[in-house]
Amino acid sequence: MREEPDGHLVRRVLAGERRAYARLVERYRDRLGRYALRMLGNVADAEDALQDTFIRGYRSLARCDPDRFGRWVFGILVNRCRTYGAERARRQAVLVSDDGAIAGAAVFPSDDRNAWHEAIEWALRRLPPEQREAFLLKHVEELSYDEMQQLTGTRISALKMRVFRAREALRELLEETVRG
Amino acid sequence: MAERPDTLARVIDALKRPVRMDPRVDERVMAAVDALPPYSARRAAGGAVLAWLRRPRTIRVSPLGALAAAAVLAGIVVAGTRVTSLLHEPEPFAGGPAASLQLVQFVFVAPEAASVALAGDFNDWDASATPLARQQGDGVWWVSVPLSPGRYRYSFVVDGGIWRGDPLAPRAEDEFGRPNSVVTIGGS
Repeated sequence: MREEPDGHLVRRVLAGERRAYARLVERYRDRLGRYALRMLGNVADAEDALQDTFIRGYRSLARCDPDRFGRWVFGILVNRCRTYGAERARRQAVLVSDDGAIAGAAVFPSDDRNAWHEAIEWALRRLPPEQREAFLLKHVEELSYDEMQQLTGTRISALKMRVFRAREALRELLEETVRG
Repeated sequence: MAERPDTLARVIDALKRPVRMDPRVDERVMAAVDALPPYSARRAAGGAVLAWLRRPRTIRVSPLGALAAAAVLAGIVVAGTRVTSLLHEPEPFAGGPAASLQLVQFVFVAPEAASVALAGDFNDWDASATPLARQQGDGVWWVSVPLSPGRYRYSFVVDGGIWRGDPLAPRAEDEFGRPNSVVTIGGS
């Protein structure tokens, strides 16, 4: 059976069927949750950002192009993750990547799948938030640079530099993990 | 030391792997949604009023508006028009009750632009939600937005993708490189 398109569900919500919104939440929960988890680094913050996003999405649904709900609600999430990241940085000390930290990167056995994933998550955490965001949007969410600029308000040249630096940093941080 | 050529590809593949979030997220979201009024003809009418208020138009309600245009600089003007009698429900991102909404006029000068929009905390930074209208002939763009008391960050979006701060407004922090300006609406 074909899934009911997003546009249909959004229009049903706008016509008064609140329960139709639950279908949209279910449809996008894991996909948006993946970005929130990669960006924020822990389940609790990711869930908070996700819930906040969907609730804001409902409250401003009348502004949404019904047939572009997915991209629109993702834009809300990207902004919420920025806010959550900034608030958390103010609450706790933030590790800053430096040469010493990179040189001291721990070695994880590359044949241990869980350890490899943990190493990736660790390396991602060491990126500055703006580099992490650009890398995830480009390589995991597969947005074009035009789409990234419209979503983030950042110049394309700056986005490309952030992606480049993120790639270089991740390579350097994970080199020890994959060697031999 | 040589790296395996596919290291970054392996990293990206790992990051793309699906995650399974707690389905109770859905329950919590819907509990909050159920506490909000459903969309209906009445709320749609309120939305239509909000849309009318936001429709780009030239509103000369403050001498500052004319001054901003004459100075060929962007600015923000608080018109002070109370709109509570026109609304059924508060603006979704209002910082306070509907009774204290104020109509705020945003002005931006861009003679060469094909389009200018407003994005900020009050519309979830949606660059398509709040377009400005061009005042005929002089490259001045305007929109009025009802806002409750609070502090809002915002930017102008020129030609769909060039983000610009407001040269007359205080700057806000944005570690992601987006130019933010700040407007603070006082309470009644």
